Amino acid sequence: MSAPDARPTAGATDGVAISLCRTDVTELAALRNRAAELEAIAARRGLRLPPNGHVVTTADLVALAVRPQRWLLLSAPAAPGAAAATWQALCADTAAAVDLSSGITALHLAGPSARDALARGCRLDLAAESFPPGRAAATMMAQVSTILAALPSGILILTPASTARHLREWLVATARPFGLAPPADD
Amino acid sequence: MLRIRCPWCGERDEVEFRYRGDATKLRPAGDADLAAFAAYLYERDNPLGWHVEWWLHVAGCRQLLKLVRHTLSHEIHAVLAPSDEVSLPTAEARR
Amino acid sequence: MRGPARIARGLLTDAQRPLRFRFDGRDLEGLAGDTLASALLANGQQLIGRSFKYHRPRGVVTAGAGEPCGLVDLLGAAGREPNQLATTLPLRDGLVAESQNRWPSLAFDVFALNDRLSRLLPAGFYYKTFMSPAWAWERLYEPLIRRAAGLGRLEAVVGDHADPAETVHDHGDVLVVGAGVAGLAAAQQLGSCGLRVLLADQDVALGAGPLLEPRWDAWRAATLASLARLPNVRSLASTTVLGAYGHGVFGALETLSAEESRRFGGLRERLRIIRVRRVILASGAAERLIAFPGNDVPGVMLAGAALAYLRRYGVAVGRQPAFFVNNDEAYEALFALAAAGIRSPGVVDPRTESWAMTRARALGIEMHAGAVVSAVGGRCAVRTVTVADLGGAHRATLPADCLLMSGGHTPLIALATQLGAPGQWQEAIAAFTAALAPATGRVARAAHGVFGWAAAARDGAAAARAVAAELGLDAEPLSALCMPADAETTPLAAIWEVRAPGKAFVDLQNDVTAADVRLACREGYEHLEHMKRYTTHGMATDQGRTGGLTGAAVLAAARAVPVSAVGALKPRPFAQPIPFAALAGGEVREHYRPKRRLPLHDWHETAGASFVSAGLWLRPLVYSRTPGWEAVLEEARAVRSAVGITDVSTLGKIDVQGPDAARLLDFVYANTFSTLAIGRARYGIMLREDGLLFDDGTTTRLGPDHFLVTTTTANAGPVLEHLEFHLQSVWRQLDVLLTDVTDQWAQFALAGPRSREVLAAVIPGLDLSNEGFPFMAAAAADIAGVPGRVFRISFSGELAYEIAVPAVHALTAWLAILAAGHSLGIRPYGLDALNLLRIEKGHVTGAELNGNTTADDLGMRRMLKPRGDFIGRALAGRAGLVAPDRLQLVGVRAIDSAQRLRNGTQLVAPADRTRSLGYITSSSPSVEHPGWVGLALVAGGRARIGGRLVGLAPAHGETTELEIVSAHHVDPENTRVRA
Repeated sequence: MSAPDARPTAGATDGVAISLCRTDVTELAALRNRAAELEAIAARRGLRLPPNGHVVTTADLVALAVRPQRWLLLSAPAAPGAAAATWQALCADTAAAVDLSSGITALHLAGPSARDALARGCRLDLAAESFPPGRAAATMMAQVSTILAALPSGILILTPASTARHLREWLVATARPFGLAPPADD
Repeated sequence: MLRIRCPWCGERDEVEFRYRGDATKLRPAGDADLAAFAAYLYERDNPLGWHVEWWLHVAGCRQLLKLVRHTLSHEIHAVLAPSDEVSLPTAEARR
Repeated sequence: MRGPARIARGLLTDAQRPLRFRFDGRDLEGLAGDTLASALLANGQQLIGRSFKYHRPRGVVTAGAGEPCGLVDLLGAAGREPNQLATTLPLRDGLVAESQNRWPSLAFDVFALNDRLSRLLPAGFYYKTFMSPAWAWERLYEPLIRRAAGLGRLEAVVGDHADPAETVHDHGDVLVVGAGVAGLAAAQQLGSCGLRVLLADQDVALGAGPLLEPRWDAWRAATLASLARLPNVRSLASTTVLGAYGHGVFGALETLSAEESRRFGGLRERLRIIRVRRVILASGAAERLIAFPGNDVPGVMLAGAALAYLRRYGVAVGRQPAFFVNNDEAYEALFALAAAGIRSPGVVDPRTESWAMTRARALGIEMHAGAVVSAVGGRCAVRTVTVADLGGAHRATLPADCLLMSGGHTPLIALATQLGAPGQWQEAIAAFTAALAPATGRVARAAHGVFGWAAAARDGAAAARAVAAELGLDAEPLSALCMPADAETTPLAAIWEVRAPGKAFVDLQNDVTAADVRLACREGYEHLEHMKRYTTHGMATDQGRTGGLTGAAVLAAARAVPVSAVGALKPRPFAQPIPFAALAGGEVREHYRPKRRLPLHDWHETAGASFVSAGLWLRPLVYSRTPGWEAVLEEARAVRSAVGITDVSTLGKIDVQGPDAARLLDFVYANTFSTLAIGRARYGIMLREDGLLFDDGTTTRLGPDHFLVTTTTANAGPVLEHLEFHLQSVWRQLDVLLTDVTDQWAQFALAGPRSREVLAAVIPGLDLSNEGFPFMAAAAADIAGVPGRVFRISFSGELAYEIAVPAVHALTAWLAILAAGHSLGIRPYGLDALNLLRIEKGHVTGAELNGNTTADDLGMRRMLKPRGDFIGRALAGRAGLVAPDRLQLVGVRAIDSAQRLRNGTQLVAPADRTRSLGYITSSSPSVEHPGWVGLALVAGGRARIGGRLVGLAPAHGETTELEIVSAHHVDPENTRVRA
């Protein structure tokens, strides 16, 4: 994927469409009192790091923040560790850039019933007025650590790689009564 | 069930947090004696009323929070950062 | 009309859709829209079960969720489901139900003898009788009591629970509980100011109160239409709010309609967890019974229930309904039945005059004012009703086939009580009301003593405006819609009990009589909650909704105090019985708990691995599906003799970065990490603050301010939390960043004397000689082209390496290593072989790091740094943790190598087999020694090395003579790992 909301969301007119996003993930964590510097470094690269609880999309990145002074950057798959290495070189002494491309799996949920389906396992208020596009949150879903980000195209779900299959099976089972569109990807 | 207003994540269910005990107990200096450490680790008040306590938001921002909670009504008076000073409410908890 | 008692068209039933069902073997017909109870009554079936203790015949008493008697067993594909409420159970085609508590049949019940022997079964009977001897409880009393008493019976469910369930999380601004007039008006008012409203009612139809009153049809229709136009109002019919849990959290159980159930794959119930900012409690009131002799005969029911059966289902509960009421509201049933052509033989009212009595007289109905019912003739059905004056003198005997009673209406304030609101006695309605703190919400209508529909609507709207104001919104009153005026009423005269010979019940479900309450009081159980537990009054599934307050009033009379001084029973969640399946929700079967899968899970599966659950992880146990140790031993032999590879990706991994990273590690580990050279790994132990061991693992220094910590699989989460907690509280000044990279890295242990050759083939650029890459060295390296890390560490005791690669590239690296090792006989090995190898080597895992052991117990005292602070330092030195007779880690082997060892085997001295000296923590068949090897924790164990002990495993009938040896069964000098 380039950015999840740029992908066509096949089947979104049915109840729920679940797809897997192939993406690199880099965590940027600012050292003490260095967040402003890190934001400046990112800004020079054309990325406005979002405030906590938000997600932003640029031409080649999705950036979200669910922990203070930390950001997750999603980018198109490249050589292993390359994205993190690039960022670490840019912000040495300011932040830690840790490659989590293998550690985090990204799923994308689209369709009119996506939020209804998620309410079967997610304790957050996912109503469109409470969680509009641009918002992100870390929580638990189906007993698994999960990060949710609302994009114009649907909901992006990040989960630890080891529980991704469990979460995906749960999502498929939960979404089925709403009408499950065939997977658009993978 | 407690709903805790996390300063970073907003109001969240209790299950997202891990209770980490009495936040008024300060770890003694590294060279303190056995008695000081025993008091730090084992001596606890069991108040009927306001209690200052640590909660770690493990399923959210993973930040440590300092809560002022009423042990009878469960009213949460304040959710603070670890370094914040605590002032206990003078009024009794709302029911 | 489907049933002889169906005399009219019901508002909820569809006369065009007959349904067939079976009750106690009788094939009957009802209508779509019926409940089981209404269908039974339509067929003239009043007798529906036997009571709990005395096995007296019982019929339905109510038309709703507070039903005490109409409990049945439902027989379906999933087996027998007990305690289904006939009064709320929707009738469906082919439904099969059976009555409860009767043997062998409903009409003739052997245990009804209990009723004759009731003098021998007083309150507290079980407490008094089945006291001793203690053994008799299990063998004699309990089986006897279980057969004789109890409600429905549980049977082993056939196969798996067939029906799915789910939990849904709901959010809103305001929850309105109850969709009567007050609730509807409140929801409309709140919805029209834009608030997100959830409107929940346990009834299948909203507006069920006004549903009973044709004059209110227009108002109801208009209000429902207006609610339907508000997208911010969600109406939840068939949804019972089960409990209030504080902080705006409520639990509710929704029963799905047949159509919704089909859509959700047969889902019957949905547990809703509702979170709101405010609540409006408009749950109305429950009509209460009067305690008079015979008030449990089938056909004695609440007046409001008779009205509901008539209006909702078109069913007349009798042809000759006598009445015993003390309030004007209850006369609605009389008037409605009269209008339908059912003439009452007489109304008994303890009051002398009232507006309703006047209207009844005008209809020509026989009135017995200033009178009570002192007896009911008939056992399985009502035949006569005896009327007495207030002094007890006989006045008349009325012929009747049912008796409709009403002792007034008790506001349902359970949820308010759970939210901490104290009950306030209201003399005008002879009941308790409640008020909520503004920060919680408001009560409406009956809950604060307002009766009459129009008054209720105004009250609901007013409560809504108050809540809106609390939430910062200014709500204008809505224009009053076609609202009929309330009829004038006369207040009730409280009457709780008629003292006359015979059993007068206050709790129909648990068979508690007014006399039982007085007995409890005489025996000292004067507090209401004590009386409840002694008599079981109010403890059944209906929670005493029809007679709870009546029992309290009888107790008050016995204590000669006002009812307000006795109080009301404290209602606890759940408000109605809830199936466990609904509580479990969707977290059953494969979704019961998450499974964590290794990056190479599919490869392991294809390679024939048997899996074992280790915490949440699924790990390969052995690459064989044949039971027995042979495959395990082969895998381990490959490691000891050549080379093997195992997947250790489950190890916890924490990336630690920042200028103070080394200081943090020095503080959380008992040994020192600040002195570790870059490119080197070190084994570390972590204590808890109480001085006991917490976790162990290797930590590698990747850069000056950059470490990689590994934890045991089981403690990956707890160790990260431990570090985060201390970093954010005790050591806030440290600048350190922690990131969980457990899932990022796949990690393999490559072990065995030939492992260096294999590794050299996949990492050609790295000098793997002892000089170039010594024991405990670490380096970044490309493994088969994948950028990763390699460490020279060993858990098996052999020359060994661990290789880490990003998890998505795990297969590439793994296959490359297998290919490189093929000619050397490389084998993948599972958790059993890994365990075998580490037991032989004397390495510890969770079995030894069990929360009771110290560093010294496990022979690691020298690792505790002598200077500087670390977690656990001070308390590790306390007397109890340094005592010489503490359990210490040793190795054990059977003298007779044909005997196996078992974890948990107790170790005793040959001369004194009554005192345990310790136990075996880990054991395995060995490849280095004949037979089994084990690790054990033994009192003063290190001094016993070379001696013998006896192992006792009484559960297996085994006695084993054991040799105590060093925990290092192989290579105690550690030469292999440095080879």
